[in-house]
Amino acid sequence: MDVPLIATLTTFLAATIRMATPLTLAGLGETISEKSGVINIGVEAIMLSGAFFSFLTVFATGNHFLGLLAGMAGGAAVSMVHAVVSLRCKANQTIVGLALNFLILGLTSFLFLKSFGQTTILPSIAVIKPIQIPILSRIPILGQALFHQDIFVYLAIALVIGLSVFFYKTEWGVSLHAVGEHPRAADTAGLQVDTIRYLACLANGLLGGMGGAYLVLVKLGFFMENLTAGKGYIALVTVILGRRNPWGVMGAALVVGAAEALQIRLQTMGIPIPSQVFSMFPYVVTIVVLLFSIGKSSDPSALGVPYERDKR
Amino acid sequence: MKRTALVFMVLVFCCAVLFASGGKEAAAASGKLKVALLLSGPANDQGWNAVAFEGLKAAEAKYGLETAYTEYVGIADGEAAFTDYASQGFDLVIGHGFQFGDPAVRVSAKFPKTNFMAIESSVYSKNAASYVMACEEAAYLMGILSASMSKTGKIGMVGGFEQPSIIKVVEAYKLGAKLVNPNITVYEVYISSFTDVALGKEAAISMADRGADVLSHVANQAGTGVIKAAEERGLLATGDSYDQNFIAPNTVIGSTIYSVPMLVLNAVEKVKNNNFVGGVFFLGMKEGVIDISGYNSFESKIPEATKKLIADTKASILNGSFTVPLIETRSGK
Repeated sequence: MDVPLIATLTTFLAATIRMATPLTLAGLGETISEKSGVINIGVEAIMLSGAFFSFLTVFATGNHFLGLLAGMAGGAAVSMVHAVVSLRCKANQTIVGLALNFLILGLTSFLFLKSFGQTTILPSIAVIKPIQIPILSRIPILGQALFHQDIFVYLAIALVIGLSVFFYKTEWGVSLHAVGEHPRAADTAGLQVDTIRYLACLANGLLGGMGGAYLVLVKLGFFMENLTAGKGYIALVTVILGRRNPWGVMGAALVVGAAEALQIRLQTMGIPIPSQVFSMFPYVVTIVVLLFSIGKSSDPSALGVPYERDKR
Repeated sequence: MKRTALVFMVLVFCCAVLFASGGKEAAAASGKLKVALLLSGPANDQGWNAVAFEGLKAAEAKYGLETAYTEYVGIADGEAAFTDYASQGFDLVIGHGFQFGDPAVRVSAKFPKTNFMAIESSVYSKNAASYVMACEEAAYLMGILSASMSKTGKIGMVGGFEQPSIIKVVEAYKLGAKLVNPNITVYEVYISSFTDVALGKEAAISMADRGADVLSHVANQAGTGVIKAAEERGLLATGDSYDQNFIAPNTVIGSTIYSVPMLVLNAVEKVKNNNFVGGVFFLGMKEGVIDISGYNSFESKIPEATKKLIADTKASILNGSFTVPLIETRSGK
């Protein structure tokens, strides 16, 4: 292979991973939530809230670690609102998620406006720099893409490994699945259904908030209204595509990320195809992959159904 | 009882948020001229919509208007938003963008007493006008500047949607760049978004990866990502819509300036004097609507010859001896 091709491939892979990371983080969170039987389509809201609060914190303190924590807290706040309304008040989970998406879009925009005013000056923060892992990062092509990334990428990979152990090899994983598949049986077996679901929702908020914080702390360094621009919805897609398996979710996020990275690069190369066709690319990939998974529904049986102990 | 209290609290919270963040500011009834503005995105996007909002506020201050505005008006909602304001008795309703042209014309037939205006559109009726800014004039100069400042002979341009009002800027930019360096490579990407800053940044990075060292944009909010990418990579960038040097003082060498305030003032004045008519009006440097910013901290770093070329070209645009070609369909390489 010639040098420009290797360089292009390397940057393409790096871009793919950059785009996939927030999707993976948010997708993993949603996976935990859905496994427990709570479907929260408010991932967009969780990410946006995470992005906003992490930005605000870093802008005020300059401390990125605090920013990450604030982002996770911001995400968790949104997912806990969803949890209370859907578990305690037994509201329709889809509608609550939808409402939260719009609510948080308005709320973050409003708070941003109140904090920084109607301005043409862009408030910004320093971004987290990539960490180069010695030796490994010198592997051709893959090295730069995998081992010269920021802390979030490593964290996402660690989470994928950790969660796949947690889901399939631990007692807690079994409890989580039980609550989502057959809450009454789980209750009879002595599991506290709602407690487990609240914890799952909390995890969803923490991870989704982390995904949102990634956008601000690593990718952009500033906040704007509607910063997530639909990434939360794509994260939902990765959960379905990945069949709620941590590796699957990461794989799906990489496919979507690669499609996006590819469409930009093809345009830069001057391939004479209308830009609109390129922009469809990630979504076409999504639909094609979904077509291939026809008839293999693996939704948890109690997904979206609140558990009512005193009813049958 | 507890549940009722909870529901009540949630409702109160929702109402508070709704009223607080509502973009639509209702104007109180009085004898003042009423002007409304429709924006495709947020009013504080530090770009395209921000300048229009500034225009509205400037007109409000100058003529003592009553103003209202709506943010995030999607393409499908344009007609409803125009109808809304027209039926509330507004005198002038402005849609800020190419996509507002057709809805304005359709609604204008139903409300003959209201004046409609679409910025950057191409259609008109008796009481609906399109005001087109000759953005290509400034883009041509940015092309000259970018090509002159490029050491690698490669520059990049990130466009929002592939639509006439954006294509004309990209194409004029390429022509300007070719004037300075006929062999220059101009990478161009249309990201099909005016709001996705992360995508704008990725597009810019893909150009930087291929060796581009001056990055430009016409992508509104998403374009901020382009400037940030250039700053991060230690490259140069040009701004769009207004002097964007504030975003990255050591990166932005110059910006196009689209003086939407002038445009809005122009229209409001006509409404006030009762001579607002339909039609398509082109306003450019001569009318004071289009300009380019100063070079800020790059004043001493840009070669004198380049500055002179830009000043001369600007002068010949102003005196009419040179017209920047208006190309509204995408050309190849």
